[in-house]
This record gives sequence, structure tokens and C-alpha cells, in this order.
Amino acid sequence: MTTSAESGALVAGVGMTPFVGFRDDASVRDMVAEAARAALLDAGLSSPSPVDMGVAAYESDHFNRQLSLGQVLSDTVGLTGKPVMRVEGGGATGALAIRTALTAIRSGEARSVLVFGGETNGRSVDRTTAIEILALSADFEWETPVFGTFAAPYALMITEHMRRYGTTAEQFAEIAVKNRRMALDNPLAHRGMSITVEDVRSSAPLSDPYRLFDASLLSDGAAAVLLATGDWVEQHSPTFTERPPVAILGSGSATDRPRLSDRSEEMFPHFAAKRKAAARAYREAGIDNPPDQIDLAEVYDSFSGAELQAYEDLGLCPVGHGGLAAADGRFDQGGQVVVNPSGGLMGRGSAVGATGIAQAVEVVSQIRDEVGGPRQVPGARIGMTDTHAGVGSLSVVNVFGRVG
Amino acid sequence: MRVTGTERNVGPDGRPVYLLGVEMAQRYRHAVGSSSPFYLGLEQGVLRATRCTGCGASWFPPRRFCEEDLTETDWYDLPGTGTVVAATRVHSPPPFGGIDPPYVLASIRLDGVRGGITHRVIGDETPEHGAAVTVEFIDGAPAHPLLAFAFAIEGEAP
Ligand SMILES: [Zn+2]
Repeated sequence: MTTSAESGALVAGVGMTPFVGFRDDASVRDMVAEAARAALLDAGLSSPSPVDMGVAAYESDHFNRQLSLGQVLSDTVGLTGKPVMRVEGGGATGALAIRTALTAIRSGEARSVLVFGGETNGRSVDRTTAIEILALSADFEWETPVFGTFAAPYALMITEHMRRYGTTAEQFAEIAVKNRRMALDNPLAHRGMSITVEDVRSSAPLSDPYRLFDASLLSDGAAAVLLATGDWVEQHSPTFTERPPVAILGSGSATDRPRLSDRSEEMFPHFAAKRKAAARAYREAGIDNPPDQIDLAEVYDSFSGAELQAYEDLGLCPVGHGGLAAADGRFDQGGQVVVNPSGGLMGRGSAVGATGIAQAVEVVSQIRDEVGGPRQVPGARIGMTDTHAGVGSLSVVNVFGRVG
Repeated sequence: MRVTGTERNVGPDGRPVYLLGVEMAQRYRHAVGSSSPFYLGLEQGVLRATRCTGCGASWFPPRRFCEEDLTETDWYDLPGTGTVVAATRVHSPPPFGGIDPPYVLASIRLDGVRGGITHRVIGDETPEHGAAVTVEFIDGAPAHPLLAFAFAIEGEAP
């Protein structure tokens, strides 16, 4: 078995709830309890007691209506007495929590860390309230007064991408079609749909060129992963040797100017933090040719064009080629790298604190060959997750791989 | 906080479901802090930025301390002109209101400073990359002080 020093951390267990528009039968703590229990059972544990510490992932006190939720969730999943920390990084919250757990394991602070995240981004609030809360993600002093939805800064970025590289609205609409179609095969997805590029282009305008179907979903949901050292797994996780072993091979994170208009004109249509985070994660994972070495990627498709831009900034295609790549099928099922087999934020949905963790659940399940059906990426050995906050103010890239 | 009502339902597995309607409203006194001279400048019809008294680097949005050398900055007036990087037509109102959708929003490089602003462009025309714009101050009480100004398209992209 690969030692944890070589691999970073092993993934002992994964679990998640369905992502849905509104869980009228569950609070955020109930959903996190479901996901955490699933991850612990997946690891073959009969009790949470062997787990050394917890990392709680959630973005918004406004959506969850509970301060000090980290301790509440830690108590809910059965870790009272153990250390817990709450991690927040906007849209990258879940992935940042996994990265935080990884650093705890790498440092020797813990031999096992349960990462659990959840959010009630769905219809527990009405549309007006949701928009008002989400508008706080923009800079309250300089941006929130002039635009209330993230469609606007994303639209500004892709408009410049279109001008500079000839990218078209039909090309990124293909991504909106692809991810919703992929979600049809995911029983945990919020809303899979069979739609066409014409359906995307004729949906309600949000911020030109973006339309309703270019945007992602707001969901209720939770997800959890259990990371551990090789020693801990041998001692406590009887299921680990029963299936393909998966480890975190690399992790990277970086920041960018939070306000879009502060950024250099050269980098305006690009996610600079994503490039830096990916470079670090790839270096750790020994990846020097991402499209050849990575089998699947869960990419942050908050807007269809953001996935197109991410192809380039994650090194999956050359800069300026994202539009061509979106339309030629190379990132579809059966392509060179399968991007968002879960359905992504557009199809599986997004419950912010859970999103980056749910991506990891998909990637690990794919590498273990447990997904099955048309969604299974045949022979998947290496997969990655990509999330960012705001319009790329913070990026986290985690790379998972089979280690034996 | 106020309970507005309750709902009952039956969950998918037959478990009982009970919901509380809750209403909360918050009021804040938001300190604009080190940006206060900018907000006060708007009342005099001027956009302001800061410049480092050490290395001379300029900052917009204004910073009190220079990011390069941590030196305190001074305020100065900007010419109020700039160049469009990208623009979009937005189809929903901003959170504080004050603008009827659709309206035009642009990322603008401001002349005389390193940096720029995302702000409203007056009129229905969506300017191209490179279009010249000039600040205009709007009469009447804005829904938010930052909406006291917007940008007018002055010239076509070169
Ligand atoms: Zn300086």
C-alpha cells in the first residue's frame, strides 16, 4: 500500500445526500448527518469514535440560520470532544475544507479527518431573499450597489473572451446541454434535463450573453469524505482493501483580486487563481500533461462559459481554444477528459458548502468503478475537482487518484 | 424575529414533516471607513483615488495603505474618464434598486489610476471594448450613494 507520506491522504469513505430544490423534511444538520453517516459506513466504521477531528464546510450563516454551526454539525455527526474547525471559501468552501483536512493529515496533527459540508441554498428562502443574500458575495462597498447577481461579472468576463478568441454563445450553450444531460444518469442530481442549444439561447435573459439555462442551480444538500493515513486505515477501515484504493495526489489553492475590474486587462477573461491552484496540484500529483493524464474532472460550472474558461485555465486545452473544445465533444462522455459526469452545478446542483465535497464523492466513486451505468467513466484512474469563489477570487483544485 | 406560521407535511418515507415560517430583518450602520473621502467626493461631483506617499503607486478602489510598501496614501481627484474593457446588458435590478432593468453595466479602466470600476453606463447602447466613457453625476437622491454617478459613452472603440 502507498504510504500516506507519499500519497498525502487516503480516502477512506465518501457519502452524500441527494441534491434537491428544497428538503422540507430536513434541516442542514439532518442532511450533514445523513452524508457523514454514509461516509463513515462506507469506510466500514460502526462508530465515529476512531475519527480524530472534523472539518465543517458551509458558506453562509444567512442561508443556514445558525451561528457556530461548526460545533452544532460536529455534535450532530458524533464528534463531540474532538477538535473541529469551520472552513469558508465562497464557492470553493467544500474543496477548501478537504484541502484543510489534507494539511492536518500531512502535518501529523491528525490521522483521520471527517470533512462534512452542507447548505440550504434552495427554496427555504424566497427568490428575493436569496438574491439579496447572494448579492453579499460581491464587494458590498463597490459592487453590490450596482449589480445584484453574479450573472453580471461572469457575463463581462465571457464577453471579453468572445471578443478576444471568437468564442460564441452557442459554444458555451453546448456545456449547458451536456451537463444537464449527464445529470439524467445521476440519481442524486437535482435536475437532469434533455435540452438543446436552441432551448438555452431562447431561455430568459439574465445578463447578456447569459441566459437562464447558462446558469447553475441553487440546491439543498450535504456531502462528506473521510480522509486518513495508511496506518489509520489498516487499523480502522475494513472496507479499504475491498476496492480500488484512492488517495489525494495533489492540492492547490490561490487567490485573485476579488473585484473583477481590479484585475489586469490581460487576465480579464481568465481565472488567474485557477491557473496557480492547478499548477500546484498538478505538480504534487506528478501531472505534466493534464488532458492526457486526467480521466475525469468535476469543474465549477456556475455559468456555462465559466466551464469553458476553466478548460483553458486548468490546462485541459490551450488558451483561446475553450470554445472549440466545448463544441467538439472532447470533454463529453467518451471524450478525452469527461467533465462533470455528475451533471455539475447545472445538473447535480449546488449546495455551496457541500459542492466541492460532492465533486470529490463523484471522482472517488468513479475511480472505484462504483458509479456504473452510462455515467461510469471506463477505467478512470485520475480525477480532479475545481471550484472557485466569486468570479475566481479564490480557487481550489484537488486531484484524486488510484494508488494500487 | 417573528414566526409567521407553520406547515405540516408527510415525508417521502412517511416520516412527519413540520416547518416554521420565520421572518427576520436586520438594520446596520455600515461604516464606509477608509473609503469615506470617496463617498464625500461624490457629493462634490468628483471621483477620488489614493496615491502612495512613498512609491507613488495609485489605487482604485482607494486603499489607505499601499500594497507595495505599506506606506499611508493620500487622496487625489481623478479626471473621471475611462475605457470600457467589457460591457453587458443586465436584466434584473441591483439589490438597492434605483435602476430599472434592463440596464448596461461595464468594466471600466479609469484614467489616472491603476485599477478600474464595474459600473452603470447611461442609455441603451452596450459599448464595445475600447469605447471611451466619461463620468456623469445624476440629479436627485440616488437609491445608494454609489449610484449618484454613471458613465456616458463619449467615443467609439478605436
Ligand atoms: Zn507605495
